[in-house]
Amino acid sequence: MRKATRRRLTVIVSLVAIGLVTLGAPREVRAQTPTGTPSPAATRPAPARPTPSDAQVLAVEQQLLCPLCVNERLDVCTLAICNDMKQLIRERLAAGSTPDDIILFFETRYGPKVRAELPRRGFNLVLFGWVGGAIGLTAVAAGCALYSMRRDSDRRLARAASHTSSRPPGSDDRWVDALVDEAHEDDAPRGTR
Amino acid sequence: MNVIATLGASALLTALAASVVAIVASAAGHRFANRALLLAGRRAIIATALLTTMATVTLAYALITNDFSIAHVASVSSRNMQLEMKWASLYSGQPGSLLFWTWSMSLFMAAFTSITVPKIPWGAAHTVATMGAILCGFLVALIFLASPFRVSPITPADGQGLNPLLVDPGMLIHPPFLLTGLVSTSIPFVLGVAALLSGRLDAAWVRHARGWALTSFLILSIGNMLGAWWAYTVLGWGGYWGWDPVENSAILPLLPMIGFLHTLIVQERRGMLKTWNLVLVLAAFALAVFGTFNVRSGLVASVHSFAQSNVGPYFLGLMGLTVLASVILIAWRLPRLHAEADFDALASRETGLILNSYLMIAIGLVILGGTLFPVFSELLRDIRVTVGPPFYNDVTAPLLVLLLLLIVVGTVLPWRGGATGHHVRRFRKPLIVAAASWIVLGVLGMHSLYALAATGLCVTIGYVTFREYFIAARGLRAARGASWPSAVAGIFGRDPRRAGGYLVHLGVAIMAVAVVGSTVYQQQTRHIVSPGETFEVAGYAFHYNDLIAKRPGINGIEVEGLTRLEVTRDGRNVAVLEPGRRFFTNFPDQPTAIVAVDSTLARDLYVFTQGWDKDRKAEIQVFVNPLAKWLWIGGGVYTLGGLLAFGILRRDPVRATSPASGAAPADAEPA
Repeated sequence: MRKATRRRLTVIVSLVAIGLVTLGAPREVRAQTPTGTPSPAATRPAPARPTPSDAQVLAVEQQLLCPLCVNERLDVCTLAICNDMKQLIRERLAAGSTPDDIILFFETRYGPKVRAELPRRGFNLVLFGWVGGAIGLTAVAAGCALYSMRRDSDRRLARAASHTSSRPPGSDDRWVDALVDEAHEDDAPRGTR
Repeated sequence: MNVIATLGASALLTALAASVVAIVASAAGHRFANRALLLAGRRAIIATALLTTMATVTLAYALITNDFSIAHVASVSSRNMQLEMKWASLYSGQPGSLLFWTWSMSLFMAAFTSITVPKIPWGAAHTVATMGAILCGFLVALIFLASPFRVSPITPADGQGLNPLLVDPGMLIHPPFLLTGLVSTSIPFVLGVAALLSGRLDAAWVRHARGWALTSFLILSIGNMLGAWWAYTVLGWGGYWGWDPVENSAILPLLPMIGFLHTLIVQERRGMLKTWNLVLVLAAFALAVFGTFNVRSGLVASVHSFAQSNVGPYFLGLMGLTVLASVILIAWRLPRLHAEADFDALASRETGLILNSYLMIAIGLVILGGTLFPVFSELLRDIRVTVGPPFYNDVTAPLLVLLLLLIVVGTVLPWRGGATGHHVRRFRKPLIVAAASWIVLGVLGMHSLYALAATGLCVTIGYVTFREYFIAARGLRAARGASWPSAVAGIFGRDPRRAGGYLVHLGVAIMAVAVVGSTVYQQQTRHIVSPGETFEVAGYAFHYNDLIAKRPGINGIEVEGLTRLEVTRDGRNVAVLEPGRRFFTNFPDQPTAIVAVDSTLARDLYVFTQGWDKDRKAEIQVFVNPLAKWLWIGGGVYTLGGLLAFGILRRDPVRATSPASGAAPADAEPA
């Protein structure tokens, strides 16, 4: 009797365990890949993690854009699709996915336009090259302009040997001097102007 | 036949004819030295302005009287729209904004024709012909590609109404300022072209362009600031500048215009930078046309692209023509564009002004690259990418720090340089102030490199600006025994450009501090709460009272849902905020945010509601934006400086007309 009871208990426990495993596994997969798109995070066993904080969720949302709106950050978009994306981010963070995994998942699904930050790789480097080139070229142009102006000035000075810059350089009070001179002119009697 | 539509269309067609008359009469008048023809050209420009005014008034009348047989009226207006919002309808949508653009440009040109053209006999014909050509280009687009007077085959009972994002009081002033600012770049451009065509390449054109460039700079700046305010209070994302392609297009012409306002001083005072000044005004106008093309082509996706049509390629061609003609003209005159004076020293204010203008161009090129990159990516790889705020913040932050540094250096350096010891003496105190600021800010916990550098430089800008004012006012007091207020007013009365310019710099510094505070130290939190619940953010308790529904019954608004929040701190009432969402009858898929802001000098509590469920449980986002209010205060200081730079405090009418004082006199014919 005791032996039979033990056997029945063993069978029941085994069935419950199998049931839990079979019920639990698909649910996790559904949460990980709602459209069936495989994700790096989905293939990893998800260790037990604490619920992600709002700040963690927001931090990921801020790195993504709404796939339907134009230049609208995910965290402030109110479209239904964005609400679904926010929920998914929370679930994936809870399941142990990293922010990079999640961003990659949405990029795979909706394209690179959902990334708020342009990755610094591949063709995108053209833009960063443009930035460097534009700043560099402008700096060189400014340098050349200043150099050529200085050179032309030196040449002119050399040609007119008699000409020396007798004008005094600017002084601290040049602005004040001009203002005060004008004030004196204003105050002077009419005939003396 | 629709009388209103016919009247408007006829006015535009006649305006086109008048613009052609302006071109032909001016060219013929110049060729045959015929005064009557030259006068006819000028009058044709004024006639064009009157006719486009007539067309604009006609469209306004159609909007007010709900004439929905006109397609544009039906697409941007509706019966329950308030009268003031119909003003916004006037320039929304493709045809309306193009009409407003052309109208405001024609008014600018008419004013220029009346005020400045009689003073420039050397370039009167060239300026009038150029203006006629520009007006002609825009009128052709307006009449043949995007007419605001097109009549629909079927007249709807009611119109669709304004785009929900535009249903905001900010829309009553932001687009007019921005569009007017963009068109105002045409006047310095026209003067530059006239100088090149006529061969009068001395400082005359610059002297006459100065006031118009200052006007353009001021209106464009105000337009951009109003745009930032609109984005802050309407779009509901907690910020004011999102580096959106259309925002970028609006700021791009401003950059060369700022550069020009600095370097024109060098040409006026020293006869240098002739080529560069021409490049800057041509770039400003070309970029203004680029902005028009960008907004209207739909080439670059934007939240501002309310009007997309087939006029994009036309404006691309117009921009290409403008750039090509400008390059050819400059190349033609290049041998004569040499400096008239010696460049005395590298360490001089001239260098500061030159570097400033080059920096503006560098910033412009970076922004232009970021704006157009998604187009090239899609064109070459068929991959759409987004170039968003992280990119722009990363690449412009060091450039903006450099800009602040140049403001300090440019203010401190004297004209024509000086001895090294002299420079050391001038820079000693500003350097001490900068170093002290960095140390204090670092100790207080500011560890972001750019934030630290920028804030320290802003403090230094404040110091050098007030030092300049103090020294000048003290001198005037000593000379005239005037009171301090009178001496300070005297500075703005006697040298308005310089004193006003310093105030603009101060405004930039204040805005920069606000940008650092409200972006680097912004806090963002999200809360899902039921009525009666309370949540806490940055020491403030937000008690969600209830969800309120309002039905204004105007401007196409169906219902407004407002989440009432009572904000307290340490038991004291701080504010009652009602953020929510606005739903529109004709645009059910486009609800807009109702943002609630409690603003103090220290911080903004910026709240908006993302939504709610049937149990009234609401999702609320709160942003704490430190120092955000200083952005608008800085904008006010900036604008005041720009206004004072016009010389509105000038007391001596004689000086107001002298070449050195600011206003441009009439020029004699060149020898």
